[in-house]
Amino acid sequence: MTINKSITYAEAINQGMHQAMQLSKNVMVMGQLIDYSSGVFGTTVGLVDKFGQKRVRDFPVAESLMTSAGIGAAVAGKRVILVHIRIDFMMYSLDAIVNWLSLWRFKSNKESNVPLVIRAIVGRGWGQGPQHSKSLHSWFGHLPGIKVAIPATAFDAKGLLLESVFGEDPSIIIEHRSLFGLKDKVPPEPYRVRYGKALVRKEGKDVTLVAIGCLVVDALKAAKILETQGISVEVVDPRTLTPLDKETINKSILKTKRLVVADPGWQSFGAASEIITLVAEKNMHIMKANPIRITFPDSHTPMSKNLEESYYFNEEKIVSKILEVIKP
Amino acid sequence: MKLINHDNILKKIKDKNISLININKKEAMKLYFFMLRLRLCEESLSEEYHPADQMRCPVHFCTGQEAVPGSLNILLENKDYLYSHHRSHGYYLAKNAPMPKLFAEIYGKETGANSGIAGSQDISYPKNNFFSGAILAGAVSISLGSAITLQMNKNNKQIVVAGFGEAAADEGIFWESINYAGLKKLPIIFICENNNYSVFSPQSKRLGGDGISERAKAFGVKSKAIFGNDVCLVHAELKKAILNARRNKGPFLLEAFTYRYNGHVGPLSDDLVGYRSKKEISFWKKNCPISLLEKALLKKNYLNKTDIKKIKIKINNEIKDSFDFAKKSNFPVLNSWEEMNFSNKSTVADKILKDLEQSKFDEDQKIVQAKGY
Repeated sequence: MTINKSITYAEAINQGMHQAMQLSKNVMVMGQLIDYSSGVFGTTVGLVDKFGQKRVRDFPVAESLMTSAGIGAAVAGKRVILVHIRIDFMMYSLDAIVNWLSLWRFKSNKESNVPLVIRAIVGRGWGQGPQHSKSLHSWFGHLPGIKVAIPATAFDAKGLLLESVFGEDPSIIIEHRSLFGLKDKVPPEPYRVRYGKALVRKEGKDVTLVAIGCLVVDALKAAKILETQGISVEVVDPRTLTPLDKETINKSILKTKRLVVADPGWQSFGAASEIITLVAEKNMHIMKANPIRITFPDSHTPMSKNLEESYYFNEEKIVSKILEVIKP
Repeated sequence: MKLINHDNILKKIKDKNISLININKKEAMKLYFFMLRLRLCEESLSEEYHPADQMRCPVHFCTGQEAVPGSLNILLENKDYLYSHHRSHGYYLAKNAPMPKLFAEIYGKETGANSGIAGSQDISYPKNNFFSGAILAGAVSISLGSAITLQMNKNNKQIVVAGFGEAAADEGIFWESINYAGLKKLPIIFICENNNYSVFSPQSKRLGGDGISERAKAFGVKSKAIFGNDVCLVHAELKKAILNARRNKGPFLLEAFTYRYNGHVGPLSDDLVGYRSKKEISFWKKNCPISLLEKALLKKNYLNKTDIKKIKIKINNEIKDSFDFAKKSNFPVLNSWEEMNFSNKSTVADKILKDLEQSKFDEDQKIVQAKGY
């Protein structure tokens, strides 16, 4: 029996990267600064020493080419992990993602697959400002042909990484950097976390709180506070947005009949709206209260500390929003 | 002329004769057959296109641009990768993908190369490592990745060829690709079919400096610009470059100056727009890559008029069969949007990864993003 050690989110990704490369010599990694000792916040540490510079490629600051090159390498037989150290820079590769990657298999009539994983890292806090902090999971969720994962814990980060690397569809894993230091019990062996399987992280009966990515932790904290006030919150973590586990969410609604969605992105046309819609289309008639979105404002992220604090929110705001839904 | 470009080709080249350099009779005849086949294929597709309106997709005909696909057809092996632009039919056939499946694809039939999902400008034939796409330099940049894979394979003798029009070099990612190919000495050949026009816009309105082949040198990629309707020259240059790439001697860029006879898209002329002169069109038609080669072959007695007739009959039969095949085939039936867009298969993951239970996450941790890299 192996013992699950408590390690950080970044360490779990690092472990997953090592194991993926060990499991198949076809796995390769491309990204900027991935072969230096700092190892992209610790996630790529040690890879180049073990697997060499051909399989662990420090890439020029040519983000658009890097994604395209990843596609081409995968078409010719590799399983590619791209590390976009900041998702904002990855926007150079929108053509590669939108016009090529997402529809490559589609237009080949299922004959040519692209097993490519993009690790897209999202910054938060310490004045990251408008060009270092966007979480564009909703954009990618809108696009057919690409799977989108948004792991909240170290366990899920490792399992979803391995699942993505050894699956046949292209995928984007949104990694919130604010989670990189958080610990979780992680099995030392390779394992998988499947796409389209939400996790009920805490059971409850009064309200369903669907929380995405970095807000899962805040949601759990909020649920704990509300528990002391006699309000029982069910926290659902979708873990992947494409595919999205509609069943688990709707099942929870049948029990609680109230919905709050916490989404770490802009409000308009976002994942929160999508989740509320899929509940409303099926179960509006049983709802005891209007569903509510808790998101970042429809604004770019300011640098200055006090404005930044107003932009982001923590468990206290989630608590107050849930109280609005609970109170008649 | 020091630098070759469209303007000085018009000024300096008069009645062009080509010589059968570095090519034997068998190869020359194969080139001739392929180019004529491509020409007749494109002409019959153009003729059929509008009256019937059964080919319901944008088609970019490559009439006049047969020399590069012809050369690739006799130089590439099945295992090599070929990526092309939207003017794709020549490249598709160059990779020995079947003509009936090309026609069926354009007709949107289930027997098409991609079951009618891609159409002319996005057609692929993965079995023979042929891919194309319509967003210009995108295909070039993807082809570069395949070259990375091939270079990593031990005892690699495979190469990648990226065919593109000169307007692809207007896009920045093109130069990112050239830079990386030069940096890593990748086994890739870049072939620019410079037909001078991005739809209507001539390259002179879009290009600073000395041109694509000159620029490539600055990135460490050897290059050459040639009169691209001399198919023997195109063949000779590509043969050298491909051999070098197979021997891991690095990338090469060939800029072949050529011309399309049709409008940018569709079978009709777009010359009413007035973007190119009659003099220019007639120069290029006079210097058609097929007739130049035909002249040289007739002169050498490799070919006579009866042979040409016989060849045409053979090709026209194949074209007729391809039309019949396409027209008689069924349209694809919608099965599932989900399956069209996602494989959802993880056969490798199923073999090597387990499902494991997870324990409760400890939420009593402070969330602070660490500084640094």
